[in-house]
Amino acid sequence: MDKLRPRDISRPSSEQLVSLDQLMPLPPPYDRPGMEPGLKPVKDAWRETYCTSLDGIVGNDRLKRPGSKAEEEEFIKKFLNGLDKLFSKETNSGFLTPFLLAFEYCARCGVCSEACHIFRASGGKEVYRPLFRSDTLRRLYKSYKKRGSLAARFAGGDIDINVEALLRLGEMAYRCNLCRRCAQTCPLGLDNSVITREIRALFSMEMGMAPTLLHERGTVLQLKTGSSTGMNKDAFLDNIEFIEEDIYERFGKKYKFPIDKKGADILLIHNAGEILSWPDNPAAFAILFEEAGLDWTMSSELAGYDGVNYGVWYDDAQMGKIALAQRRAARELGVRRIAIGECGHAHRAAAVSSDRLAVGEDNIPRESSFPILQDIVRSGAIKFDPLRNNFPVTLHDPCNIVRSMGVVMPQRRILRALCPQFREMAPHGVKNYCCGGGGGFAVMRSMNFSEWEMKVAARMKFKQILEAFQDKIEDPAVPKYICAPCSNCKSAFRDMLDYYQATARFNVRYGGIAELMVNSMAMFERPYFGWLETGN
Amino acid sequence: MLLTVFMYTAITAFVFFSLRKAWQYAHNPLANRWELYPVPGEPGARRRHGGSYYEEAEWWTSPRQVSRIGQYKEMLKEMLFMKSLFINRKRFWTFSYAMHLGIYVLGLFTLFLLAGAATEMFGMRVASLDGVSSHPWAAFVYFATAVAGFSGAFLTACGSASLLVYRVSDKALRKYTAGDEYFNLFFILTAAVSGLVAWSTDPGFNYSRGVVIAMLSFTPVRSGVALMAHLLIFGALLIYIPRTKMSHYIGKYFAYHKVLWDNEPNLKGSALERIVEKNLANRPQDGWSSPHTKSTGAEES
Repeated sequence: MDKLRPRDISRPSSEQLVSLDQLMPLPPPYDRPGMEPGLKPVKDAWRETYCTSLDGIVGNDRLKRPGSKAEEEEFIKKFLNGLDKLFSKETNSGFLTPFLLAFEYCARCGVCSEACHIFRASGGKEVYRPLFRSDTLRRLYKSYKKRGSLAARFAGGDIDINVEALLRLGEMAYRCNLCRRCAQTCPLGLDNSVITREIRALFSMEMGMAPTLLHERGTVLQLKTGSSTGMNKDAFLDNIEFIEEDIYERFGKKYKFPIDKKGADILLIHNAGEILSWPDNPAAFAILFEEAGLDWTMSSELAGYDGVNYGVWYDDAQMGKIALAQRRAARELGVRRIAIGECGHAHRAAAVSSDRLAVGEDNIPRESSFPILQDIVRSGAIKFDPLRNNFPVTLHDPCNIVRSMGVVMPQRRILRALCPQFREMAPHGVKNYCCGGGGGFAVMRSMNFSEWEMKVAARMKFKQILEAFQDKIEDPAVPKYICAPCSNCKSAFRDMLDYYQATARFNVRYGGIAELMVNSMAMFERPYFGWLETGN
Repeated sequence: MLLTVFMYTAITAFVFFSLRKAWQYAHNPLANRWELYPVPGEPGARRRHGGSYYEEAEWWTSPRQVSRIGQYKEMLKEMLFMKSLFINRKRFWTFSYAMHLGIYVLGLFTLFLLAGAATEMFGMRVASLDGVSSHPWAAFVYFATAVAGFSGAFLTACGSASLLVYRVSDKALRKYTAGDEYFNLFFILTAAVSGLVAWSTDPGFNYSRGVVIAMLSFTPVRSGVALMAHLLIFGALLIYIPRTKMSHYIGKYFAYHKVLWDNEPNLKGSALERIVEKNLANRPQDGWSSPHTKSTGAEES
């Protein structure tokens, strides 16, 4: 264990607080030398512009070093203004109670540490301990409020408030996946992730410093074009047409996506990333919904075709605007309900986080698509042949869907019915580990951040996957499928399997749950997964 | 008489500051939902696997089911046995549970003292110079008071002392424990030890019963030096607790019931929707400084 303490975040920028050596070992075959890529060195230009003094990683590319003394003073002043706002009923009404409880009552017992996959995967690096982050904010606040007095130090206010401390705190807010696993173990029922999120909110809403891919090219882009991918209405319609043609070419049957159908029962909202990066997923939904005879539609209006809401991770204002834009798209179509496709944070944003942000005509019921898919399997409306999925399948539980929303069993019931070689990861369900892409990490790509994501944040999940497939892992002839019913998790798995070359070396695949369902539909002669035919 | 007034002041301060803290949390604006599964209010099998009403298609068309029994069971496990800490860190639990169990037993001791005082005020002696009363009720009160008083103070002292030692000796805990946390434990330890010292001069707690009688009849408290010192320390602790994180008996209620277990959906036409509507109407639009927080989203399109 290193000797680092929260007060050390004020150390000069020349001192990097932690280096990424001696990480948690991985199970076979990744216990052999040369199986895991090394970490690339930090570039000098990054050190000058960004904060690399925490762990040599740049997560927030908008968190830039002030250029002059005056800018430093302004930086600190803005931060302290924002800090006050976190404690105010006027400016932080939506999060005040959970934030104050976590801030005020932590007994510093450290139980949360062992629950944190990042802390454990890092080999127990102190800066990744959930308590380190939350206690740094507590100590900063006490130092600020009691102005360095003896009373402040007695209460833990021992941090020298300088630019380096605040930059490191800003980076630390992006070393937590917000998975909330630590909160499940807290003896006082407190949640470190709410403190992390509030630090992010402070930097974004007061200082305008949120990672580019979450803010400018995320929520701002979504409110401007309709999707965080930048896909506007015309591009969306073109892509849907392309998907329709692709299904016809592959399976010889025409499926028409019912776009903007007024008065439909269900408005299905996907993560737009699925439409662009994994079009097989929305295609599978269309096939299943059409074959089951559901009355459904998709919206082509602003935010109506993209369920993502990155605001849940870092910014209340953006979260509210996007949630309302999505509700309005549903209202204009006059649908009875909104169903969320395979996207974890979109599930939580639509059903839970924004539940108390809309009333009246905007208060349209929202639900997960998983129970609908489960009912399709149970109803017998579609004939499935489980033997078509006769390869090892494991299920990843997206934290937002399971731990923060309580949708645990429908996806399991589907896999148990349709996948003869289904096996659980350990642990799973509400005790699962994050994929490593949670809290925005699957989207963020600044400098060397993805490398850290794969090496540290995704490490525990990669270990779980190797363990789940241990009996078949070294046999590349056997495809092994990670069912990841969440777009951001899929993004993390794509990067993970690529980083560790697990697909190339061991034939480990990933995808959604709707694709597995269509792959086992008896009516199609060909498998839905191309790699079952070609092996690639 | 001053000691009587001080004890009343201490009890009043404890109740007042505790209620004020609870009132402050209760009057915070309605929070966004931030529940965490498993939620014990979910009924039956769903509760066991950590599921919610979202596991059903068209969940809002089914009657809302909340398992109060599930909630109470979980609350009792947490309150009486500190289940979370037991599961996740047994060593810490051993020390912390000793202290908390001691405090619970001291709560019981207070009730026995009150019962003894009431018994004596109604004319039946619990104990005299000749020994314990032969009346079964009086004898029960006497021995129950003695056992609860000693074991409660002993457990509290052992628990707080071991927690202090643990926090000092464990490298990780030492890094994060601030001066005020050591002080809190030390304060509890001092109160418990001073209670044990007072007990050593009065094993039957007869003087303590006399203090309660004096307080109930609002007459001057008569006590020896040891008991007086204990009363002063204990009274100061009562005043101090609600102002610190030791008031987690309040915080924990809100953490569970208003955050982690609160999955009440905002259904159209519901009472909650009216609260949400009022809450939204009162939200100021101009609090944060970053320009994007001022826009409604429409102008970005």
